[in-house]
Amino acid sequence: MSPLTIQRPSRRRELRRAAPFVLPFLLLFVVVYLVPTGYSVVQSFFAVKRSGLGLGGAETVFAGLGNYVRVFQDGDFIASVGRVTFIGVIQVPVMLGIALVLALLIDSSVSTGRKFFRVAYFVPYGLPGVIAALVWSFLYAPSLSPITGFFASIGVDVSFVTDGALPFSIANILTWAWTGYNTILIFAALQAVPAETMEAAAIDGCSGWKAALLIKVPLIRPALLLTLVFSVIGTFQLYNEPVTMKSVAPNLPSTYTPIMAALRSLSGNDFNYAAAQSVVLGALICVVSVLVFRASARRVD
Amino acid sequence: MLNRKARLTAAAVVAATGIALTGCAGDTGASTGGASTGGPAQITFWGWAAGYDKSVALWNESHPDIQVKYETITNGGAGGYDKMLAAAKAGTAPCLAQIGYETFSSFLAAGLLQDVSQYVKPQHAEFPEWVWGNVGVDGAAYGVPVDTAPMGMFYRSDLFTAAKIAVPKTWEEFKTAAAAVKAADPKARIMNLPTDPYLYAGFAWQGGAPWFGVNGDAWTVSLDSAANSTVAGYWQGLFDQDLVTSYPAFDAALFSAWNSGEVWAEVGPVWSASLIRDNAAKSAGKWAVAPMPRWGTDDSVGNSGGSATAVMKGCANPKEATEFAMWMSTDDKSVSNLIESAAILPASTSGLANAALDAPESYYGGQAIYQVFRSESAKVNSNWRWGPVMSTTAAALGDGLGKVPTKSATFQDALSGAQTDTVSALEAQGFSVSK
Repeated sequence: MSPLTIQRPSRRRELRRAAPFVLPFLLLFVVVYLVPTGYSVVQSFFAVKRSGLGLGGAETVFAGLGNYVRVFQDGDFIASVGRVTFIGVIQVPVMLGIALVLALLIDSSVSTGRKFFRVAYFVPYGLPGVIAALVWSFLYAPSLSPITGFFASIGVDVSFVTDGALPFSIANILTWAWTGYNTILIFAALQAVPAETMEAAAIDGCSGWKAALLIKVPLIRPALLLTLVFSVIGTFQLYNEPVTMKSVAPNLPSTYTPIMAALRSLSGNDFNYAAAQSVVLGALICVVSVLVFRASARRVD
Repeated sequence: MLNRKARLTAAAVVAATGIALTGCAGDTGASTGGASTGGPAQITFWGWAAGYDKSVALWNESHPDIQVKYETITNGGAGGYDKMLAAAKAGTAPCLAQIGYETFSSFLAAGLLQDVSQYVKPQHAEFPEWVWGNVGVDGAAYGVPVDTAPMGMFYRSDLFTAAKIAVPKTWEEFKTAAAAVKAADPKARIMNLPTDPYLYAGFAWQGGAPWFGVNGDAWTVSLDSAANSTVAGYWQGLFDQDLVTSYPAFDAALFSAWNSGEVWAEVGPVWSASLIRDNAAKSAGKWAVAPMPRWGTDDSVGNSGGSATAVMKGCANPKEATEFAMWMSTDDKSVSNLIESAAILPASTSGLANAALDAPESYYGGQAIYQVFRSESAKVNSNWRWGPVMSTTAAALGDGLGKVPTKSATFQDALSGAQTDTVSALEAQGFSVSK
């Protein structure tokens, strides 16, 4: 009884002191994140009902899981999820592999010009995604591309925008744009590896690549995990690159990625269905993220 | 990809459905209020076309009792319509909105527009019947037309003359000319394949192959009709015989082909005039305009574009709003301004009489090209109607047509796909569809 009565006022005082620091974030978080998300979830359980030509306007009625049934029967949406999964599976490991190697190189004490490389790798990330996608579009456009032009001049027919090539072309833009960002994240973690540990390893005869792979990499596992989860989430939310590339690749469908599919429903004035698609995508990302965390955490044990 | 930017994109999607709660709740009163306050009536107007702001300023000067507040928004297809839909959902829609004919039915069927037939009736004769058909159903009007975009044939007169090829007057002659162009210059083709859904719509429109219709209290969808197969088959035939190029629509590669003389002609709407002029500057003076080729003896023309000033639901001053919209489309000063700033082809009879349309165009070798479109605008096929889910129809058709150049689909496949997607979108949104 007595400890409680003593604690209460102090906790309240603590809260009062913390409030000015926490409230601005909390307010923004609620207003721009929780409320719209909640609104979407609510919307996804409704549908509009019209009659005849629809001129009389629409009435919103409760639809239960109707929109969700539609989502899981929507071949275009399911195909879009399959596409981003495929892109993620081929792109994320390649990108993180390169990022890890680059970070280890910058971190290794022998490398010269590490300041230069640290900035150089990061530069593509500084470029707005749409601009990067636009530049790559020009490099991919069949009639404008200098690369296609070069191959044509030696008699080889190459196209970066066929249905089969598109996932790889997009994966290439992603890798180009995001490898540097991940390199910096991993490099920052490498900086935190205690020098004594490495010294001890060197004394025990473990150095160079062996030390890097056997000692540094396990120590920075949390950072690697973070970049992995971020990358997986990012791939599921793919939007800028395919939309920008559509102008040079008209064969790229308007429902190429889940977000593109949801936006198409939105433009079609099908708000409730767009909300259901967004909620399904969000839930899917949550589940995948948790699975990735779980799987990696188990491996650490 | 990755978290921050991607999360922003996702948040935008989520937020777009929740705009009602997060943002623009501020000016509800401004758009609808003003009727009972005794002051001047306040009309808000959203649009994006160049010159609208100036026409509004002209109106406000001369009409102190009805004040229009113009707000420039993003081009409709590039997000402007989404903004309007979201605003309407949030109850903050403007009084007047610029809406392209192709999207007009979607807004109408979403129940977002007001019937203003009684206010436009006195000036019914100002616009041809086919134009009225684009701003309402069954004789009712929900806005005032501004401009139209009848199609014509833009062609390199220098190349046609040099190769002694007659300018085709029918689609049959066009096909013969296409073969002659290829024979004259094996690298050249007569035209680029129209794979943009709205550009292609103009050809279906001309061919008496409507995509939508109204049957009593239900919509009909006929993208897969026999008439549509005829038009689709014609273009597929030109493509299969390698008589046309197949660059993406509005692509830099197409522009350079116009410039270099690799593509000799473009059958397109009136606004192609500025598209060609601005993107093929090197071939200045070599282009000319002729009427669009006809199907046999049927003297009708297609249309691809044009827009209206729609009166949205919730507008407290529909009479005053309509009065302004009618003025903007018909007043001599306003129309002159719109022709000058936005190169529009006026929809109104009085607007079409505007002398600015008789000006010779130096890019087109001094030809007064708008005279061609002025007379063609009276011949636009009147049986066309845009459907209520055009954004879905156009996206589905565009997806299909985009596959034609890679030979993984045909025009017919694209139309069938669009038919299926359109019907299911209509049914999902609760419209009646007549089979």
